[in-house]
Amino acid sequence: MHDEPVNQHDLSPAEHLDQRIIRALEAVPEPQIPADFAARVARQLPTRRPVSLTPTHYGHNAMLVSMVATLAALIALAPHATGHATFDLLEWLLFAQFILLAVWFSVRRHSLR
Amino acid sequence: MHTDLTFEQVVRDHQDMVFRTLLRLTGTREHLDDLAQDVFLRLYRALPSFRGEALITTYLYRIAVNVAQDEWKRRRREDRTHTSLSDDTSGWEDRLPHPDRNAEQQIEEREFQQSVEEQLRRLSHIERTIIVLYHQEERTYEQIAYALGLPIGTVRTHLHRGRKKLREALQQRQIQERRATCTTNQ
Repeated sequence: MHDEPVNQHDLSPAEHLDQRIIRALEAVPEPQIPADFAARVARQLPTRRPVSLTPTHYGHNAMLVSMVATLAALIALAPHATGHATFDLLEWLLFAQFILLAVWFSVRRHSLR
Repeated sequence: MHTDLTFEQVVRDHQDMVFRTLLRLTGTREHLDDLAQDVFLRLYRALPSFRGEALITTYLYRIAVNVAQDEWKRRRREDRTHTSLSDDTSGWEDRLPHPDRNAEQQIEEREFQQSVEEQLRRLSHIERTIIVLYHQEERTYEQIAYALGLPIGTVRTHLHRGRKKLREALQQRQIQERRATCTTNQ
């Protein structure tokens, strides 16, 4: 164990008490373990979720739909945009959004190859 | 299936250590199976992130200490009395072998063991945990520090302080017992 054994007769009462305490602390309990404990734990193990090997394209499809919707909105708002500050600003915002989506789409397509 | 079989072997290899550590840390046999099962289930869940920088045993000690700590918190919440290690029905000290001692010495030793267990339960969680890991489980300062996430100096301090408290409490108890014996004899 951690401490060296000492001759009991050479010890002072305080040291003797210390030795007894150490002996008591080093006494190892013997708990009763059910015979089937390991098997029972193995049965309780949660099943690991299988990793899907089929890639999904939800983000890609949502991006395409957004691009189409933005383009439609751009075309629909185009006749009203000339000379009207609010529509003009909206048109620019939609155009910027369309460009961003187009860039993302091309980058993503490139990375998926 | 293969993973489960391998894990079952891990459980079999470490169940003794987990049971006896939990028994001494919680001080009761109550729910011991459930607590041990919790330890292994937590280990299983943590295995994907287990990077192998420590022995699985050290990792298990960390989990066992956490489970015991949760149990202490739960008991404090419930504030209920629990069966103690030193109760007549569950005293594991009764089964400690002392083949070379006579009956009187054995009784005295058993009573002393019970006193130590009782005083051990009065220590703070961290002191008790460090004492159990150091003396019962024979872990090194480094292993205890890793298992508890503490600096080595703090582990030494708690160990020293815990043993000092134990010694003082047991000395006090012995003085009281002697006084009681003297009063009875007079």
